[in-house]
Amino acid sequence: MSLRRHLPHYLMIAPFMILFAVFFLYPILSGFYYSFHDWNGAKPPEFVGLQNYEKILASRDFSRAMGNLLIYIAITVPLGILVALGLALLVDSFTGRWANFFRNAYFMPVVLPAFLAATIWRWIYAPNLGLLNVILGWFGAGSVNFLNDTGTMMYALIAVDVWVSAGFNMVILLAGLKNIPTELYEAARLDGANKWQQIVHVTVPMLAPVLFFVFTYGLISAMQVFDKPWLLTGSSFTSYGGRRNALLFPVMDMMGRAFGGVKFGEAAAYGFLLTLAIIAITAAMFLLRSWRERR
Amino acid sequence: MNAVTAGVTPWTVAKWMLALAIAVVALFPIWWMINVVFALPGEPVSLNPRLWPTSLSAGFDKIHMIFAETGYLRAYAISLLYAVLTIAGVLLFGSLAAFEFSLFDFPGRKALFAVVMLSLMVPTAVTVIPTYLLTARIGWLNSMQGLVVPGLASAFGLFMLVQFMRAIPKDMIEAARLDGASHFQIYWHVALPLCRNAMVTLAILTFMQTWGNYMWPLIVATKPEMYTVGQVVGLFNSPLSHHTVDTVMTANLLAAIPPLLFFLIFQRKIVEGIAMSGSKG
Repeated sequence: MSLRRHLPHYLMIAPFMILFAVFFLYPILSGFYYSFHDWNGAKPPEFVGLQNYEKILASRDFSRAMGNLLIYIAITVPLGILVALGLALLVDSFTGRWANFFRNAYFMPVVLPAFLAATIWRWIYAPNLGLLNVILGWFGAGSVNFLNDTGTMMYALIAVDVWVSAGFNMVILLAGLKNIPTELYEAARLDGANKWQQIVHVTVPMLAPVLFFVFTYGLISAMQVFDKPWLLTGSSFTSYGGRRNALLFPVMDMMGRAFGGVKFGEAAAYGFLLTLAIIAITAAMFLLRSWRERR
Repeated sequence: MNAVTAGVTPWTVAKWMLALAIAVVALFPIWWMINVVFALPGEPVSLNPRLWPTSLSAGFDKIHMIFAETGYLRAYAISLLYAVLTIAGVLLFGSLAAFEFSLFDFPGRKALFAVVMLSLMVPTAVTVIPTYLLTARIGWLNSMQGLVVPGLASAFGLFMLVQFMRAIPKDMIEAARLDGASHFQIYWHVALPLCRNAMVTLAILTFMQTWGNYMWPLIVATKPEMYTVGQVVGLFNSPLSHHTVDTVMTANLLAAIPPLLFFLIFQRKIVEGIAMSGSKG
């Protein structure tokens, strides 16, 4: 009887929930199963226990990818947010049409597909004739092969990354800035605070929840970086990561094991290892926040 | 210190210079791409900074050549269809489910919604390979349904629509029911029109995301007949391609045009949509 009363509700959510179960829940569970099996997609999966996980943890590509990832997130996430905050404050200090113009201009790189940002920048970074080298040439510097010199590759990627992500985070921070009551600034000004002090003592504390969101979200997406380093290094499933694996990242390594090495069990295990790392870092962030709030 | 004329302080001048300089950094790569395309062939052999377009007709010739002589037009059609079908599915299934989750109560509602929301925290990295394996097993590789269907249950879309539908007054639903409207009619005639704004924003964001999706087409559509714009652009830019810079840039520009047009038309909706997803997340 009650089922009949509720039937229309279940019918309406059914399409979404069925798709969700088939293409989200089932893949996760099956991935967990595969991660304990040796499987190339053709022959039946063979149970190998924790071997996939052990193999990954012991592999040189894994430590290289994780090392690269640590350097990458340690720079790109804070730098990206700092730039985004600067942009948001800058745009916020204009009014009317100019505020709109600058906001849209800074946001434009976000609109491009990420694959395109990477391919355009590959040409800008090109040795000898690339735009950046031409500009450096005006100052008498020699040509730098930004995407093939292990000393510059990481920074070349981070520059593209900030170019793309700053506008995205700026828009979120701008919405947060609009929610700060102007009385707070007036009170601070009456107390004799200058512009810088107002930013440090009013803007940043009031923005803290939004900053936290932007930081956590940025961290989670940065840990899964794929398109940009893949395209900047001209990677394919048989050869990826760039010179001496200087731009090898975990998701690239995982995709390479799956579609280059045809080791689906290992790739599935890789996904779970990465997820564990992401959950651990996110949990640490939330713990840190609640600990700071309690103090 | 002397006051400079009518409110123009060194601080304002510096601020404007900074704002304009950053605008140049943000926009120049895009502008430069346009300039390389709209220049006489042979001219862009050197990649010197091009500050303005020099030949409109040459640019259109290149666009025509790319459409006529490569698989670009087909990739364009595939990417558009991929985006349109994804938008339609995400909006339809998402709004049906959001209608129930936000306005009604039924056994299991909270638990089901919580499971979907938890999935927002699961990284793509862990699902992409098993989802590929499932798609392969049901024989959907290199097919439109293989591209589209696995992405239709968008937890983000559901979240966004639920936020909006929660604001619909329950009285309106009751009034419609007393007028004899069926459950589906209430959804179609009352709830949907009321959240049209959210639907448009979600459609635009879904378009941007689908058009820019690189990883999923890369593994699902491996035959040249099923390549999306992202893959074709990748081919043009690959180290082994024999194309000249201006051809490659034309390919890039063509991929950029739909999202750039979308942004110019819907800039407010896009910016608000992203700001909202941030402030409510």
